[in-house]
Amino acid sequence: MATNTLNAQHQEHHDGGHHEPPAKVYGRQKMALWLFIGGDIITMSAMLFTYLYLRGVNTQNHWMSMVGLPVDKVHTYGYYENLANLPSQHLIHVAPMSPSFNWLVTGVSVLSALIFWSAERNLRKNGNRAAFTWNALFATVAVVVAAVLSVVQLRHLPQIYVAVNDSHTLSYTAYSSSMMVLTGSALVHFILLAYLGLAMVVRSARGVLTGEKWFHAGLVRLFWVWVAVSGIIVSAVTTTVNVH
Amino acid sequence: MTTTLQHAPTKSKGGGLARRQNFLTALIGGVVFAWLAWFIGRHTLDNTTRTFSDQVAVLTSCGWTVGFWLGIGALNGPGRWFIGRDHTRADDLYYAGENQGRARYWKYCTDHKVVGVQYIIMTMVLLGAGGILAMAIRTQLLTPGNHFVDQQVYNGFIAVHGMLMILALIVAVAGPWANFVVPIMIGAHDMAFPRLNALSFWTLVAAAGLLLTTLAVGSLPVGWVVLAPISNQAGVGMDFFAMAIIVFTVSTTVAGINTIATVMTLRTKGMTLSRLPIFVWGSIIAAALGLYAFPYFLTVEAIQILDRTVSTSFFVASGGGAGWLQANLFWLMGHPEVYVILIPAVAALFEIAAVMSRKPVFSYRTAIAGMTGLAGLSVLVWAHHMFTTGWAPTLGGPFMLTTELISIPTGLFFLVLLGTLWRGNIWMKLPTLWLFGFVFNFIIAGITGIYLSDIPIDNQLHGTMFVTAHFHYVFVGSVLFGAIAALAFWFPKVSGRYLDETQGKISFWLVFIGVQVTFLAMFVSGLRGMPRRYSSYSMIFEHTNFVTTMGAYMIMAGMLVLLGAVISSWRKGEPSGPNPWQANSLEWLVPTPPPLENFDVLPTIKEDPYNFGGKR
Repeated sequence: MATNTLNAQHQEHHDGGHHEPPAKVYGRQKMALWLFIGGDIITMSAMLFTYLYLRGVNTQNHWMSMVGLPVDKVHTYGYYENLANLPSQHLIHVAPMSPSFNWLVTGVSVLSALIFWSAERNLRKNGNRAAFTWNALFATVAVVVAAVLSVVQLRHLPQIYVAVNDSHTLSYTAYSSSMMVLTGSALVHFILLAYLGLAMVVRSARGVLTGEKWFHAGLVRLFWVWVAVSGIIVSAVTTTVNVH
Repeated sequence: MTTTLQHAPTKSKGGGLARRQNFLTALIGGVVFAWLAWFIGRHTLDNTTRTFSDQVAVLTSCGWTVGFWLGIGALNGPGRWFIGRDHTRADDLYYAGENQGRARYWKYCTDHKVVGVQYIIMTMVLLGAGGILAMAIRTQLLTPGNHFVDQQVYNGFIAVHGMLMILALIVAVAGPWANFVVPIMIGAHDMAFPRLNALSFWTLVAAAGLLLTTLAVGSLPVGWVVLAPISNQAGVGMDFFAMAIIVFTVSTTVAGINTIATVMTLRTKGMTLSRLPIFVWGSIIAAALGLYAFPYFLTVEAIQILDRTVSTSFFVASGGGAGWLQANLFWLMGHPEVYVILIPAVAALFEIAAVMSRKPVFSYRTAIAGMTGLAGLSVLVWAHHMFTTGWAPTLGGPFMLTTELISIPTGLFFLVLLGTLWRGNIWMKLPTLWLFGFVFNFIIAGITGIYLSDIPIDNQLHGTMFVTAHFHYVFVGSVLFGAIAALAFWFPKVSGRYLDETQGKISFWLVFIGVQVTFLAMFVSGLRGMPRRYSSYSMIFEHTNFVTTMGAYMIMAGMLVLLGAVISSWRKGEPSGPNPWQANSLEWLVPTPPPLENFDVLPTIKEDPYNFGGKR
């Protein structure tokens, strides 16, 4: 070959990547994770675009309104299903969810990220595996709490009982729909974090993750922090771009 | 050069559960889990709601995907990682297909060359399925008022043909060749994440299964763009379609991350960015653009599913939703996706032009600038698909401008291709023939695109067969020609044999003439006002439709000849040796077929790969 010299004098011996320095492997995995986070940022942007677009095209509170019947603790789906004659439908306004609940979920998520970050830092700097295992477990429990709160939030999204074609159904306004996709996305991330967090606990307990081999904890920490940051962004947008 | 790897002896056989897993177990897993999900859904969900059947369909799709992943072995790695039992060296070698012969092509194999071949086969399957639907569509349109297929079935054929062909072309070049040749081109043992590589391929298979299911469950009478609100009213085929897109997005995202990470972190010593073969640049630019574009696809289909299954109102006007939201999200993906498809094909042609004319790529940096510029501009043009919808008329001017600016990087492609070929010592072999076919067709594709970017003309031609003819010149006349050129070029590296020249040339002329007959006549139909997607038409369009259908049959005949050429050449074609085109890039300097892990020792690069000295 004229140009690309396969010259053994300057060759670095590799064995399928298995003799690579761990730091090099970590760098590669970190880059992939950043690319994944990049894709995740686009997905979050698309969902925020959805929220802002629907807010933008629905002036005068209409994004919280639908023609239908009110749904609350008394007037449930079953209540309407049992009525022989439905009352006439009219424009119903749903009450917006309190931003504080969003911030509560985000707060728990941020707390879990801080716990894991501190655990990972401790493992990396001091090699304290037992402390890491416990702190990773606390962080995982916190993120499970955030997931449960998200489910509660999803279950309390305001609904309206509406006629569609020849049947009736519960339906969500544009506001509730937008909140659902944002909350649902957060829930998916929390579930993923719970899997990663538990894996960290198991791997650390088994001695696979140590003060010398902390790289996977570093990757999980990066993703965990991103999930917390994305929660802050979403909460900030849904709070400041008015819900009324 | 010795490239046979000598692995250290391993204690166990490796592979574990994966030894029992293959495509068949994946199918069984997919079907069993789909049935389980369907059964659970049928018996636990409230069957009095209007969204019941959609909920069951989505659950079934999820069951299929999870079962397929379990059956093929995609979840073995994450499972073992979770419990702290990471793969051993023996496991990795088993997954890489060591000493497994042809069986590894049916498995969750991590060797990038096996994945590349799997993509070749998958592309052919997708093109074949989409092609059969195309023939059915054209046969229906052979005469006005024809009853070859039912109108609803016809509508489904239109949607599934469109999506199958889009999937096929997204993977037609990037799938086989970014996997098979890129790691060797940059001097790497494999992709950065071999297991993710296998995951991306088998996830694509799972997505294709879902897409084909739409035809079996009441079809999808809404076109491949599935615009709201009509898509909200479609049957359960729409649910399978949306789930197919979501699963497909997982596949492309994983593949894109892997490609970029591979090139950025695994280049061998001396392989600087300015020495990268131009095809590598095309692969990473397309991968980056895909990473930007496909999350929109995922989002739009995910919220479409929510509208259909839990009665949200994203696209339902009575609930404050907007069909324009769907159109915006879709086209934010839809136009960049065209260039995710096109850029790898063009980059492969740059590579072919340089090797076959014995000249360096003309203005290498211009080629990179063209591809990067095209990718950058493509994210700013989406609303030209919505000129006639009435959405934001004041933005029409700016979007018309950005769309017309696309002609500048596209013009650079011609400059680079023609500049490379100019006064070259051109070797008129099969890849070169398809390259020239591309140049001819891409001129027509590009110029008609400029017409459509102008609002006054688009107002007249939107929704007509003119648009259909334009994008078929892009996808069939340009991308498919580029993909076949790439196949003919790298086929000797995959199989150790030339793709048969005689059959290849017959195929070329049938397809080339077929494309002109089909789509030039279709332009005429469009200019005379024939709308797209209709199953019947007025008598005034009879002659041009007859000609179009005859041309389509020619294309199909040509593609069948090409399929025959591939099969016969793979089995008993003329042996080519390791470097039949006397090229300088690394993939031609390893033995054919390349050994597991490609290089015994990694090379050091001292020059770019295009210094041919004008000689053959």
